Amino acid sequence: MNSTDLTIATANDLLERGDISSVELSRLYKDTISAHNKDLNVFLEVFNDIDIQAKNADARRARGERSPLLGIPLALKDNILIEGRHATAASKILQGYIASYDATVSKKLKDIGAVFLGRTNMDEFAMGSSTEYSAYGPTKNPSDPMRVAGGSSGGSAAAVAGGMALGALGSDTGGSVREPASFCGVVGLKPTYGAVSRSGLIAMGSSLDQIGPLAKTVGDAELLFNTISGLDPLDSTSIATTFYPQRPSTKKIGVPRLLLTEGIDPEILEHFEETLKYLTQQGYIVIDIELPSAPLALALYYIIMPAEASSNLARFDGVRYGLSLKGDSLFEDYARTRGEGFGPEVRRRIMLGTYVLSAGYYDAYYDKATQARQVLTQEFSSALEGLDAIVTPTTPTAAFRIGEKSDPLSMYLTDIFTVPANLTGSPSLSVPMGSVMRDGRKLPVGFQLTGHHGGESTLFVIGKDIEKHSSTAQ
Amino acid sequence: MSSMISKEEVLVLAELARLKISDQEVEELQRDISNILQYVGQVSAVTTQIQPLDIPQLRTIMREDTFSSDSLLVGKREVLLQALPAREGDYALVRKIIHKDE
Repeated sequence: MNSTDLTIATANDLLERGDISSVELSRLYKDTISAHNKDLNVFLEVFNDIDIQAKNADARRARGERSPLLGIPLALKDNILIEGRHATAASKILQGYIASYDATVSKKLKDIGAVFLGRTNMDEFAMGSSTEYSAYGPTKNPSDPMRVAGGSSGGSAAAVAGGMALGALGSDTGGSVREPASFCGVVGLKPTYGAVSRSGLIAMGSSLDQIGPLAKTVGDAELLFNTISGLDPLDSTSIATTFYPQRPSTKKIGVPRLLLTEGIDPEILEHFEETLKYLTQQGYIVIDIELPSAPLALALYYIIMPAEASSNLARFDGVRYGLSLKGDSLFEDYARTRGEGFGPEVRRRIMLGTYVLSAGYYDAYYDKATQARQVLTQEFSSALEGLDAIVTPTTPTAAFRIGEKSDPLSMYLTDIFTVPANLTGSPSLSVPMGSVMRDGRKLPVGFQLTGHHGGESTLFVIGKDIEKHSSTAQ
Repeated sequence: MSSMISKEEVLVLAELARLKISDQEVEELQRDISNILQYVGQVSAVTTQIQPLDIPQLRTIMREDTFSSDSLLVGKREVLLQALPAREGDYALVRKIIHKDE
């Protein structure tokens, strides 16, 4: 049996029939990790109690317990807390930190009997689009180890793509689940803002962050999403699954054509058009739409996100937890701890956030950005009246080479299609739509569907249709 | 608006952000932050036509003002204290910042 051929659904069938135990299943994944992790740098830590967790799951099954995730080996991004285990957000400032409590998502997965394989690599504090900003080195793309896995949830995406986990959780602040999903050829969901509790997620941009699943199939991603979502008293921004009224599907899909005119790999556009054609054949109506403020989205994002991140990261002061360095004064203690504990991109974003929030610049940047964000949100809401989804490619290019984007701004431009969903709080799903050939390697590319608030189920339906197409096309 | 930021401004930001940075990084940040500000500055230019909306997108969340025994941190006192980089008994040990007048 090959770990890359299994999905959560098929593995659950095997467990259900007694063809395999969770212990055997987990060992299969552990062995795959042992074979590839050294080269691909996917996991920062592989837990040493996987067998014990799997044995517990087998015992629960033997007692008659059933759930589609019972005994299923999963991977969690290193910014999601599991009580008693290390959590570093791939930063030196949290080296050695042990989580004092479970994130709500970790607790939910534990309760249902999932097996945690380990914590996956990421850009430090989720700041990046390639995992190159990890303090522990970049994760390599299983499709081509010369290339990035995407980021910031690159480790989670590569784990699923490389058969090193059946599913994974990541976090998405501006595309950090969807972009690596696209680069690695897996499914990734950024849920509606508030749909999944953020309690126990190491915060970056609190008005943007959402935890989301990465999986082999849309069905698996749906299962993970349904397991982790819901109202949580520990996160006051979380919402009940019934918070937004469900809308009947219109089978109409909108394409913001003006966003697709420049800077996009022509082969990606070909796959995109082909997918649209397929959807039309399946009875969907594809129409052109306008989102006048969308070209500004990336600029808004790179004001709002660093502002929130610089505030959130103020808590790392060397007094509460994590790294603590001493200087000649209290000020020096802080400055040394933070200067040496944070990596260059994190320092850059803290500085940028401090700038846009400082007196004299607040009005010109942060205030304008929050106003424009509201306009963008209204444009999305109006455009989505009568539509099931707004669609674009997930990324303008396929996975780039490690070291290719040395200038921070060029890295930021990777997020051009993904940030609007975070700014508007919309759910957004990336589904594989084929691959492009580069340097003799097949590189996967993703199709992105962004829906109305609470519209995940509609996205899953369309995603499953696209999945049928991609599987027959290959 | 000019988005070129000076060396002095970078140093002030670093002080506000409590970050010790090297001389070389000051120059790099001067360049990087200027480039990024130039890009994000299109917001200031374009949104002058946008009227501030008075419909807030945020919701107020209320809860009962009661103690919940399933709060995450009940019984976690020692676990939290163990995370402290410096500790004396049940207290976080911090630098003395108030000194006697000479």
